[in-house]
Amino acid sequence: MGYNIVLAGVGGQGIITSARILADAVLASGGNVLVAETHGLSQRGGSVVVHVRVGDVEAPLIPPGMGDLLIGLEAIEAARYVNLLKPGSPITLNAEVQPPPLPKITVPSLDKIIKALREAGYTVYSIPATTEASKLGDARSMNTLLLGYASGLGLLDQAAPPEALADSVARVIRRSSIAVKAFWHGFKLATAQSMTTLKRQR
Amino acid sequence: MPHEEVLAEEGRRVVMLGNVAIARGALEAGIGDAAGYPGNPSSEIIEAVSVASGKLGSPIVEWSVNEKVALESAYGASLSGVPSMATMKHVGVNVAADPLFSLAYTGTPSSIVVVSADDPGMWSSQNEQDNRWYGVHAYIPVVEPSGVQDAKEATIEAFRISSEYGHPVILRTTTRVSHTRGVVEAGRIDAEKLRPRGRFTRNLERYTLIPAHARRLREDLLERWDRIEERLSRSSLNKIEGGGDLLLLGVGLGYRYAAEAARLLGVEARIAKLQTPIPLPSSFLHKALDGVSKVLVFEEGDPVVETLLKSFIHDEGLDVEVHGRSDGYLPRAGELGLDKAMRAIGALAGVDPGLPSPVEPGLDLPPRPPALCPGCPYRGVFPGLRKAVRRSRVEPVYSGDIGCYSLGVLPPFRVQDTIVEMGGSIGLANGIAKTANGQIPVAIIGDSTFFHSGITGLVNAVHNRNPMLVIILDNRTTAMTGHQPHPGIDVGAMGEEAVGVDIEALVKAIGVEHVRVVDAFSIRGVEKAVTEALDYVRRERRPAVLIAKGSCILVALSQARRLGIKPPVYRVNPDKCRACTVCYTAFNCPAIFRVEDGKAKINPVLCTGCGVCVDICPFDAFEPVEEPGKDWILLMRTATPAGW
Ligand SMILES: Cc1ncc(C[n+]2csc(CCOP(=O)(O)OP(=O)(O)O)c2C)c(N)n1
Ligand code: SF4
Repeated sequence: MGYNIVLAGVGGQGIITSARILADAVLASGGNVLVAETHGLSQRGGSVVVHVRVGDVEAPLIPPGMGDLLIGLEAIEAARYVNLLKPGSPITLNAEVQPPPLPKITVPSLDKIIKALREAGYTVYSIPATTEASKLGDARSMNTLLLGYASGLGLLDQAAPPEALADSVARVIRRSSIAVKAFWHGFKLATAQSMTTLKRQR
Repeated sequence: MPHEEVLAEEGRRVVMLGNVAIARGALEAGIGDAAGYPGNPSSEIIEAVSVASGKLGSPIVEWSVNEKVALESAYGASLSGVPSMATMKHVGVNVAADPLFSLAYTGTPSSIVVVSADDPGMWSSQNEQDNRWYGVHAYIPVVEPSGVQDAKEATIEAFRISSEYGHPVILRTTTRVSHTRGVVEAGRIDAEKLRPRGRFTRNLERYTLIPAHARRLREDLLERWDRIEERLSRSSLNKIEGGGDLLLLGVGLGYRYAAEAARLLGVEARIAKLQTPIPLPSSFLHKALDGVSKVLVFEEGDPVVETLLKSFIHDEGLDVEVHGRSDGYLPRAGELGLDKAMRAIGALAGVDPGLPSPVEPGLDLPPRPPALCPGCPYRGVFPGLRKAVRRSRVEPVYSGDIGCYSLGVLPPFRVQDTIVEMGGSIGLANGIAKTANGQIPVAIIGDSTFFHSGITGLVNAVHNRNPMLVIILDNRTTAMTGHQPHPGIDVGAMGEEAVGVDIEALVKAIGVEHVRVVDAFSIRGVEKAVTEALDYVRRERRPAVLIAKGSCILVALSQARRLGIKPPVYRVNPDKCRACTVCYTAFNCPAIFRVEDGKAKINPVLCTGCGVCVDICPFDAFEPVEEPGKDWILLMRTATPAGW
């Protein structure tokens, strides 16, 4: 049933752009892809989920429990859509909680969210992607940094090879050369992590 | 530029949105004219045609004032011999229904396709209506693509059918076709064909629907309807695969769910792909039903095909069970899904769907509804309005409307007591004004919505002396649907120069005596103007209008980037902040957050530099990091979208 990627985050974080990058890279690598997007209301800082299906697939939506990978651009939103994943699947997470701008709500901490996801059996790889992207000079490149990170962990190999993804970043985001740098930076951080802390994280 | 893949080279395979594929199909079919009114999930079609038009010089594209005019505009172009298309969201077809029914009677000397973008699941709509019923009701064939590539092919076929019979065709798309990106192989666009070279040829008996003509035309229409039904059975959009005594009838996108679910379950069944549901093509159905004892119908929306199929089976004397959304095999409401399809097939074929049980992490997650952007002009209007209402001691009924300001329904604002349909704010206020004792309706309506369907309601209020306060939120764009232009600004769909209609002059000309224009970014200004207007309404028992001007901040920011203007950033002076919480609760700006001691802090990444916080803070704790420039102050109040 193909390879199913869930992208979740807050409207305005560049989620649809991430999905476009993935889709372009899949096509450039000779594959087939479907991307179901959320438009409209959800863009005003609301919760956004995008379904990316790669391979021999027909239906646009990933049903609950059938996703292979979740890319979370924000922790609360990652947790909200984790039920789309197959039990035990990996999550690559931007280590960040954005409290919804609502009066009188309780917001779980990042540690609490990650702990709960791990206890539920998911494998969580997290990285402070916004901070790392800011260091490169453009906090908005958080989305491509996170894609690079997932690719560096080998979790996007069934969609497209890293070079194809990087080329696609350059094609889709023309305004910023930092976006491509951020992709490779995320990629390197993943490889570095796999060598050191990855074992412990599991 | 967004949507530029609409002009992909012939023969290339590119990833595009379903809506862009529809635009591409229309271009390959050779349209000369397109008109639409924005609305999810339809807006990208006109946007993409505009991109093509910008590059090729044609076809002609317009954002019309509303769906009725969009359809009439396309209708007129089609009567002038130019293939044309009108696009709208599903509820827009209600607005355009009057000309739609006539269109089937007169037909057209060329071709016309009406795109209805339905929204199962109501991702951005007030209802889940299924517009295939319009096809049944108005005698207009409906074509319904199953996916992104099919969206292009179905558009081309819709134009082909339309021109063969001189009859309109409805292209019904749904959210998961329109807003899904997929791989499309580009066909040929003949730029010559896109140039509209029309000429209207008089034909009174066809184009003037007086009763004598209409009676004859109705006979014609019925005869045409039968011929179209035969033609649809031969359409290349429909096909039958596999065999067995169970038929999975996939209508439009329903086909995709049926096909993948059957494959995943390993169930042997015959699968029919039906992309021309209305009128039901009978010879195609005979073929599909041959040797079948059970049918499971997959369709997005109402059980339209399911219902018609039952009647067909009855009339033909067939012995076939029909299942689907009306008997609980598939849910009555909401979108289809692969899991739902697998469950339904499993139940009918007697196999275990083997669906996984997802694991929930057991966290109590706060909701994240959409919110007004930081710097949204409405964030100053709502508190100003509430203060004035409290001060004036009137009991308001906030008659709301559809646009970004609908978000004012949420706490802390709570200034929308009704939200029903576009223009409904002023419309309902008429009746409330006459009947709700001791209450004053406050109609809150956006500029695009005012042009769309608020004007007539206001004429009614003036004429009938219905006391109400109307607040027109003039943010210089149709923001909710993606920042399209509207008749109030001097930019057209293609970014060309247009004539902006002056709302203030218009309202005065209607005969409203009390008309005030107020700066939306000034809470105090709004408060004062509302107080005076409420006073007037109470005293004179007539409508008053307030026009709150302030550009959508997202449009202002994108213009600022283009013009090299730098918006300021604000900060909190911690010595002045007394932790009163008003800025992050009552004002609720997403860029302002609470720090440990209850004091406020601004997130500079989210701050858009509107400076309204300066007005809301009772202790003058907000200050700009550097003084805002005059050009930014002006741009916040004047910026308009650049068009597509
Ligand atoms: C009949 C109909 N057509 C289109 C829409 C889609 N729609 C929702 S809000 C909106 C426009 C809002 O524009 P405006 O009134 O200027 O408010 P803004 O979003 O700019 O605040 C539209 C077109 C709809 N809901 N109903
Ligand atoms: S898009 Fe514009 S009008 Fe809509 S909430 Fe944001 S700033 Fe306000």
